[in-house]
Amino acid sequence: MQKFEYANATTIQQAVALLGNTWGEAEVLAGGTDLLALMKDYVVAPKRLVNIKDIKELKGITMTANGLRLGSLVTFEEVLDNAAIKRSYPAIWQAVAGVTSPQIRNMGTVGGDLCQRPRCWYYRAGYGILAKDENGKALVPDGDNRYHAILGNEGEAKYVNPSSLAPALISLMAKIKVAGPKGSREIAADQFFVTPKSDNEREYALAPNEIVTDILIPSASGVKTATYEVRQREVLDWPLATASVALKLDGKTVKSAKIALGHVAPVPVDSDAAAKALVGKAVTEDTAEAAGAAAVANARALSRNAYKIQLAKVAVKRAILQAAG
Amino acid sequence: MSTNQTQIVGQSIQRKEGRDKVTGAMRYVDDLLFPEMWFGATVRSPIARGRIRSIEFTGNLPWHEFTIVTAKDISGQNCTALILDDQPCLADKFVNHAEEPVVLLAHPDKYLLEEARRAVKIDIEPLPALFTMDDALNQTEIIWGDDNVFKTFLVEKGNVDDVWASADFIVEGEYETGAQEQLYIEPNGMIAMANADDGVTVWGSLQCPYYVHKALLKLFGLPPDKVRVIQAATGGGFGGKEEYPSMIAGHAALLAWKAGKPVKLIYDRAEDMAATTKRHPSRTRHRTAVNKDGKLLAMDIEFVIDGGAYATLSSVVLSRGTIHAAGPYACDNVRVRSKAVATNHPPHGAFRGFGAPQSIFALERHLNKVAATVGLRPEELRRRNFLHEGQTTATGQVIREKLDLDGLLTRALELSDYHAKKERFAEHNATNATQKKGIGFATFLHGAGFTGSGERFLESVVGIEATATGNVCILVASTEIGQGTNTILSQIAAEALRLDYEMIELAQPDTANVPNSGPTVASRTCMIVGKLVESAALGLKQTLVQSGLLTDDYSLDEWRQACAIYIAEHGALKSFSKYEAPPNIFWNDETYQGDAYGAYAWAVYVAEVTVNLVTYETRVDDFVALQEVGKVINPVLAAGQIEGGVAQAIGYALYENVVWDNGTMRNNQMTNYIMPTSEDLPPIRVFFEENPYTYGPSGAKGIGELPMDGPAPAILNAIESAIGVRVNCIPLLPETLMKVMNA
Repeated sequence: MQKFEYANATTIQQAVALLGNTWGEAEVLAGGTDLLALMKDYVVAPKRLVNIKDIKELKGITMTANGLRLGSLVTFEEVLDNAAIKRSYPAIWQAVAGVTSPQIRNMGTVGGDLCQRPRCWYYRAGYGILAKDENGKALVPDGDNRYHAILGNEGEAKYVNPSSLAPALISLMAKIKVAGPKGSREIAADQFFVTPKSDNEREYALAPNEIVTDILIPSASGVKTATYEVRQREVLDWPLATASVALKLDGKTVKSAKIALGHVAPVPVDSDAAAKALVGKAVTEDTAEAAGAAAVANARALSRNAYKIQLAKVAVKRAILQAAG
Repeated sequence: MSTNQTQIVGQSIQRKEGRDKVTGAMRYVDDLLFPEMWFGATVRSPIARGRIRSIEFTGNLPWHEFTIVTAKDISGQNCTALILDDQPCLADKFVNHAEEPVVLLAHPDKYLLEEARRAVKIDIEPLPALFTMDDALNQTEIIWGDDNVFKTFLVEKGNVDDVWASADFIVEGEYETGAQEQLYIEPNGMIAMANADDGVTVWGSLQCPYYVHKALLKLFGLPPDKVRVIQAATGGGFGGKEEYPSMIAGHAALLAWKAGKPVKLIYDRAEDMAATTKRHPSRTRHRTAVNKDGKLLAMDIEFVIDGGAYATLSSVVLSRGTIHAAGPYACDNVRVRSKAVATNHPPHGAFRGFGAPQSIFALERHLNKVAATVGLRPEELRRRNFLHEGQTTATGQVIREKLDLDGLLTRALELSDYHAKKERFAEHNATNATQKKGIGFATFLHGAGFTGSGERFLESVVGIEATATGNVCILVASTEIGQGTNTILSQIAAEALRLDYEMIELAQPDTANVPNSGPTVASRTCMIVGKLVESAALGLKQTLVQSGLLTDDYSLDEWRQACAIYIAEHGALKSFSKYEAPPNIFWNDETYQGDAYGAYAWAVYVAEVTVNLVTYETRVDDFVALQEVGKVINPVLAAGQIEGGVAQAIGYALYENVVWDNGTMRNNQMTNYIMPTSEDLPPIRVFFEENPYTYGPSGAKGIGELPMDGPAPAILNAIESAIGVRVNCIPLLPETLMKVMNA
């Protein structure tokens, strides 16, 4: 790990002022569960860490009739311990329940979950987010891409978005509130993630001196939601595919559906095709399966990840069945 | 007087060092600090094979502050001495595998050190590299010796070629196993102090102090008394700290010598996984002649393992794999032809089982195919071929113990409710399209101790010393690495001397203080070293009896008094015991015939699985491990060994996949190298049978490696029974199964 300056911010204004205008110079330290590992492996080597854990406004869970607000410093464990979230927002609660170990859930924050870096092993080995060697040759297409993208992989970015919460937030049409030197703005969850064109860009729509402050989730009253995650082992593992669904039912018929997939593309995938396949129909094994098939209709396997198409399909189907109960 | 003679052996007495480990008081090598200690780092080859053109020290770094060591700084022989001494301590001119050490750095600031490590640029002209056993065998390049072959063995019994024509069936099959990482909890590490006056002293995480000692002698060209190796508390080994610590000790010592400071060299997990040894990948081909009654007429076995870039331990891994390849079966005609070949992978090395898990996987999968071909149930085929007392193994070893594999199999199938489940699962599978259940088993053996003449050559010595208070200290180089050495050796000594367990201590393994009781490997510590502890203990008592200070029947007070008097008169009370082969044990290294091992543990393992045909996941639902081990010294520790081994082998079968990318391990993080957690494991139900072995302490045999051998074939047999499809390679990952099912 390279030496760095440790700056402790106690207000949002202090934090954004300490961050500067260039990616990589300074990094935000919340739970640190991803950042410290990246620093130890020299994947990132910031000159300054800005600790935001002492900023009180970033904490706390508030639930009203209008919706749910999660401060960006809320830990996974706090979400898991919240019976109201479990009852009213099962998709959120189930997404968090899938997050690895108690240690990580105690340290990791919901804001950090959105801003963590890709799990791509080429990226983690120092080849950058676009995974190129020193001659500019892309390493993923001919390399070991078993964990890489099956959707949205036509461009240079072939890693998968690592966020556990993102699919649930997208299915619930949440907004991400961020703060910078000029004040706050809100970004729709499905607009928060972007696909960088170069190693100097990030995978989320923040400026270098912006931080996530709140996650705002509209009321899910009358909405049936669920998240389903497929992983190789039962605990301490990253998902191979996840799906979150939010369904409004009219009797047994699906009136509207929002279906999002995670860990299958460089950004979480809001699958209109899956939703369309379900709307106007009753939820059955067959319609859920058809929605799963629609979600991956445009999937394109790389050389070693065809199995992920099947898993993504299964995740969508099971999430729908779980939501419909 | 300790009245209960057999109260200590056979009891689940608390671990000697358990409290210190649980409370965090135990000091591992990275916990040790020395005044003015520097830190060391290793700069490694980025590619698998090539010629070193230059080494550049780039960047804006104060290079003059660093101690820099290359092959030129080695005063003795540039090798990590083991068997053939072909592995350099530091690569010189050529590199033969990725992550091969080339340059060493030391500096007092470990952060600066890491920056420096990244600023050393080794310019290497690439040479064509070999990554598969076939390429090695086909000699597409010659990368080692004349033919890329480290070692070949031929075991021949009868003549297989006489049999093919008369066989009712000839069954062929090919079986493959992958590399596996040991994943001890504590990564490798060493601290060295070294200078011309005092010689070389190292403290480290290691299994075999005298292996490290031998390697340092050659590396520095020093006399034996100028090299001292001390084992620090060690957080697991599984074979992974058998040979590689010699390399790290050499590196730390070279740096310490040149720096004139103590140097600490600790690997982090990523470096440890990428650079150090793994289990040898293997391929086994079987050709079996069998008659319509299921009698095995001939077994022709070709066994190949990938040794990586240097010979290291491959010849002995191959040896054990070769001898275990024909399993616990009586067959008149057996031929095992085996080869360890060179590739440009980092050298593969010792890992629990040591070649046997590979060849037993092949055999126990293959026998199910043979059974199906003949039209017998797998258990019936085995019953018709089991070894019995008086029969001979593939190496012509006559079974002299009372051996009842039939009974063992019957009991294992009962404990697992095998037959009823088989029926229930057939019904279940007929009506369930996506969840298929299956049950399977494997029957196997594992030889304890060094193979063949190995123990004779080792000539292990154990010492035991009493103090004036009557307490007793065991002097062995055998190391506690989590498996319970300290506890069971203390139990054995306490039992032999009829003393309290608390009166027994173990000396820290330190080559300046303890005799060479041999390496802590090969399931030999309990059976071989334990027996020597027992006889050294009895020697201690004998000394007191012969001095007239003790009668054969004594109380604790009489013992203490006798020790006090003896030591007052003679200064010290010590007893040593040296290994002697049991009578009637004979081995021919030329023909590879004879008594391959003094004793075998025998086992039947049964696995129950559910295979999901939507996600292709396999879940092991239940596991029964039944074994005959001579005598259980400590039931909790013994069961722990078995449970841990089964868990490790479930990982081997279904989860743990070393992803190679041009000879580099791509997934050298625990995030991507998936080992099963407790949530992924079934209940592991462990059962023992005891049939005391005359030459083991209280009759005990070795069990450390046994549980690694059986689970993988039992699980794959269960999968076959669930889905009716034969898969013969491990690890069997869901994506592999999906491909097979959709092919």
